[in-house]
Parts: sequence; structure tokens; C-alpha cells
Amino acid sequence: MNKALRRSADATSHLLAGLRTSVPAMLGLVPLAGVLVLLVIALPWLPAAVKPLRALANAERRRAGRLLGREIPVPYRPLPGDGLERGGMLVRSPVVWRDVAWMVAHGLTGLLAAVLAVSLWPAIPYTLSLPLWWWAVPEGSQSAFVTLDSWPKALTLPFVQGALYVFILLWLVPRFARWQARLAEALLRPTSRTSLVERVEQLAETRAEALEAHGAELRRIERDLHDGTQAQLVAVALRLGLADRRFDTDPEAARALFLDARNGVEEVLTQLRTVIRGIYPPILSDRGLAGALRALAAGQPIPIETDFDEGRAPAAVEAAAYFVVAEALTNIAKHSGATHASVTVRRQGPHLRIIVRDDGEGGADPGRGSGLAGIRRRVAALDGTTRIDSPDGEGTTLEVDLPCGS
Amino acid sequence: MRIVIAEDNVLLREGLVLLLTSDGHDVVAVVGSGPDVLPALLEHRPDAAVLDVRLPPGFRDEGLRAAILAREALPGLPVLVLSQYVEETYAAELLAGGAQGVGYLLKDRVSRVEEFLDALRRVGAGGTALDPEVVSQLMTARHDPLQALTPREREVLGLMAQGLDNTTIATTLVIAERSVSKHIGAVFAKLGLPPTDSGHRRVLAVLAYLNS
Repeated sequence: MNKALRRSADATSHLLAGLRTSVPAMLGLVPLAGVLVLLVIALPWLPAAVKPLRALANAERRRAGRLLGREIPVPYRPLPGDGLERGGMLVRSPVVWRDVAWMVAHGLTGLLAAVLAVSLWPAIPYTLSLPLWWWAVPEGSQSAFVTLDSWPKALTLPFVQGALYVFILLWLVPRFARWQARLAEALLRPTSRTSLVERVEQLAETRAEALEAHGAELRRIERDLHDGTQAQLVAVALRLGLADRRFDTDPEAARALFLDARNGVEEVLTQLRTVIRGIYPPILSDRGLAGALRALAAGQPIPIETDFDEGRAPAAVEAAAYFVVAEALTNIAKHSGATHASVTVRRQGPHLRIIVRDDGEGGADPGRGSGLAGIRRRVAALDGTTRIDSPDGEGTTLEVDLPCGS
Repeated sequence: MRIVIAEDNVLLREGLVLLLTSDGHDVVAVVGSGPDVLPALLEHRPDAAVLDVRLPPGFRDEGLRAAILAREALPGLPVLVLSQYVEETYAAELLAGGAQGVGYLLKDRVSRVEEFLDALRRVGAGGTALDPEVVSQLMTARHDPLQALTPREREVLGLMAQGLDNTTIATTLVIAERSVSKHIGAVFAKLGLPPTDSGHRRVLAVLAYLNS
């Protein structure tokens, strides 16, 4: 009992003594909470704050690149989403932190280095001329390592100091300039890791879009088959059943029903052709992309110049390319007022590059026409890029790059 | 007529055999894969061939290629090409080797038995039978002289391109046969083709326009 009381008393005094650390810890919570709140508030503003940093880093990339004689690539990628989302992505992005690290290093050393390098130039004639006039000025206003107060010092030390300055200027300053540029390059160029991280994020994004697009496509096909084809076939079966019942009693009516059923089947077949074309245009599997596009171009109301590679790409890429060109040509025929157009499809390294040009009115707005938006979506779903250049009155150029996975 | 059939779907193949034999034709060979088509045509030299475009093993356009090769080897061999979908390009390729005895129809058309048999007879006799859908594709494509035609003249030309004769065109459009001849005369004039009374000239005129 005694022992137990003793133990409790000890524990109580320990906890009491703990106030010495726990009270400051509690007080520390206040600034911590403040910092956290500030961070959350600051997050949406981060993109705005990063912008000048990036402009600064870009200027340094160009400057350092000129000295090194090689371009320092820019590692930034466009950011998706709204302010908060972008802020979150920026905080996680190693590219941002490398920019910040460069800013700290350059901020601490850059000014000092520039001032020192510039002041070396006047310092050399100053030092070397000291023996001529050191005696004429008040004591203490000149020095070479130490204050000059005798001829022996005045005739030796300035030359030693001058030699050191010359050495620094000739040997160290050029090297420092290179080190500075190399440091900038090392921190500001895309590293395999930073570009990989950004790439993974971008891929995750496009993959989500691809899944979404794929899902929407499946739902559309399902709807077409369910509401169109299937319903129509049920109606046909019903007519055939009725015809069967009437066959003996009223052959004429039965015959009419048979003919109805046949018409129904013909309609179903037409619908099915449309659905199939939407899934994968049959001519693509027959003739490949080049053949299918030539057929497409031949069916246009205006002359289309074509230039295609004959090689094959993955089916999904060919289907997307076909869709892009078909959609673009439809747009040209409907809206552009063009009298001539050209379609180029070329394999460029790992990409399939599609260029569709016309000499129409231009001014195509991807925000408005659903055609261009559809092209964008379909291309993005395959991790490709779309560029539209459509100045008023100067025709439209659509450029699409689709990765082929090899 | 002695007929060779190339079709890979067993049900459709048997249906075609049944249909053609019941119409009094003699089906001399039935093949189900692409590489067998050309040898069968060269061996039997049929009065007409009914060919599916897409055949195993490649399921691409084996039937169409076989038809073109066969017509190079046996000029004028009547071929009726059937397909689940029609392409203007395929029609142009088929017709490039001469217009006589060429047919190109959607598979759906076999359900209209009489019209189908009629088209086959026409092809066998050296005429043409193009699917209305091909013709409408060709009509929407670029053919500048067509801009000069009136809607009725286009209609008549479209039916001509399908291979119909004046009487049938007149019945289809519910107009007098004389009006049909008048429209055709206007079409020939506007397309710069001197009118003649030969049926083959008529087909060639249509094709000259189709291939323009």
C-alpha cells in the first residue's frame, strides 16, 4: 500500500514537472495551426506564385544554356484541374522543389559572385599602383593584406595581392561562371526522375480519361444495340409469329406480315451497319489505314490531296486516326467553305502524326463545334495531342500526334 | 446459268444454293475460303460467280481481289460481289476492269429474292447491278458535271447506274417511259455524252460518269 502510494506520488510529480515541456508544446500548437491554415489558404495561390519562379528559372535556363553551348530543356507540363488541385500537384512535384532549391542556391551566391567579379577589375590597378601613392594618403586608407606603413611593405605586398587578384580573375572567375551554369543545369533540367513523375501523373490522368471515354463508348453501343437492333428484332419475331397464326385462315394477311418482317430485318441490318462502322470501320480491317483514308478522301465533295505511310499501327490508333480524319473532313465540307484540302498521315518515331489542312475561312473554335471537341477527346483518350491553328481567313490546320506504343 | 459461289457462312451459303437451284441455275462449285476462289473460277469458267467480299483466312477483301484477278484472267467473266457493307472505292476497283458483267450489292438484298435473281441475270447477261447505297455514295462524292443536273435527272441517272432499264425506271418513278427517255437524253447532253441507242453504250456512259 505504502509502495503503491509512493509510486503514485512519484508519478504525479513527474507529470507535474512535465508542465515544463507540455506547456510550451501546447503553445507551439498555435503557430503550427497557423502555419497549417496558411498552407491550406496558400495552396490555391501556389500556381500564381510558381509562375514568376518559372519565368525566372526559364531566364536562367536560357542564360546558362548560352554559356554551356547547349539548350537546357524546360521540364514543365501543363497542369490540369482547378487552383486547389493544381496547388496540390505543385507541392508534390519535384520540379517545383528543384526550382526552389536553385532559387535558394542562386539567391545566396549569385549576387555575391557578381559583385566580387566586377570589383576585381578596378581592384587590380588600384592594388598595383599602391607603391606610387600610398605615402600621400592618410594612414589606414590603403592596404594590401595589411596597412602599408613602410617602403619595404609597400614595394612587396601590393604585388603579391595583385598577383592573387589576377589569378582569381583569370582562373577562378571563368570557372565559377561555369559552375554556376552547371548548377543551374543540374537543378533546372528535367531529370529522369522528375520527368518520370510528371509522365506518370499525366498518364494516370489520360488513363482515367481513356477509361471514361471507353465507358461512354460501351454505353452508347449498348444503347444502340438494345434500343435499336434488339427491339427491332423482337418486332420482327412478333410479326413472324402472327403470320404463322394467320397462315391457314388468312394467307393474304400472313403474307403482308412476312413482307413487313422482311422490311424490319432490312432496317435492322442498316442500323447494324451504322453501329459497326461506329465501333470499327470495316474498311480499316480490309485495307488498313492508308486504304481506308484514300477511300474516305475520294468520297469528299472537294479535292483532297493525300500523303500516307503504308505501315500499320495498332488497331485502336488506326481507328482513332480514321475517326479524326473523317471528322475533320466532315467539318471542312460543312463549315469551312474550302475549295481544297490535304491529309497527311506519317509515322514519326513512336508517333503517328496526322495533319489535315484546308484553305477555307479559318476561325474554327474547338470550344464550340462538337466535332473538334470530339477529336480532342478521342485523341486524349490515347494519350495523344491535338493542335488546331485556325486564324480568320487563312484556313485551318489540325495536327494530331498519336502514340503507337513502340 | 452455271454458277460458282464463294461464301464462308454455312447458312447463307446453303440458302444461296437453294435459292439459285430453285430458280433453275446450276451451282457448279461452292467454296468457303479466299485462296480457293480463283482456282475454282478458272477451273469451272462459270456463267456467273457470286462472291462474298470478306472470306477466311484473312477476313479482309479476298473475294473482291479474287473477282478482279479472275476478270483479268477471263475478261468479261460475270461476277456478282456481295458484302455486308458497300464502299465506293471497291465499286470503282471492280469497274476499272470493264463494266460488263459486274454486280456489287449489299448482302441484305438477297432477301428481295426476285430483285436479287434479276440482278444476277442482268450481270450474267453482261449488264451491271450496283447497290443503291453505292450509287448514293457516288452521287454525294465530287462529280462536278452532276451539279448541272436537275433532281429528277439525278434520280434517273441513279437508277440507270443501278442497271435498271427505261421501263423499270418509269415504273419506279411513276412517270411515263417517254419522260424517262427525255431525262436520259438531257443527262447525256449535260454530261457531254452523245446519245446512242445501244444498251452497252448506256452502261458505259453511266460508268464514265461514275469514274469521273
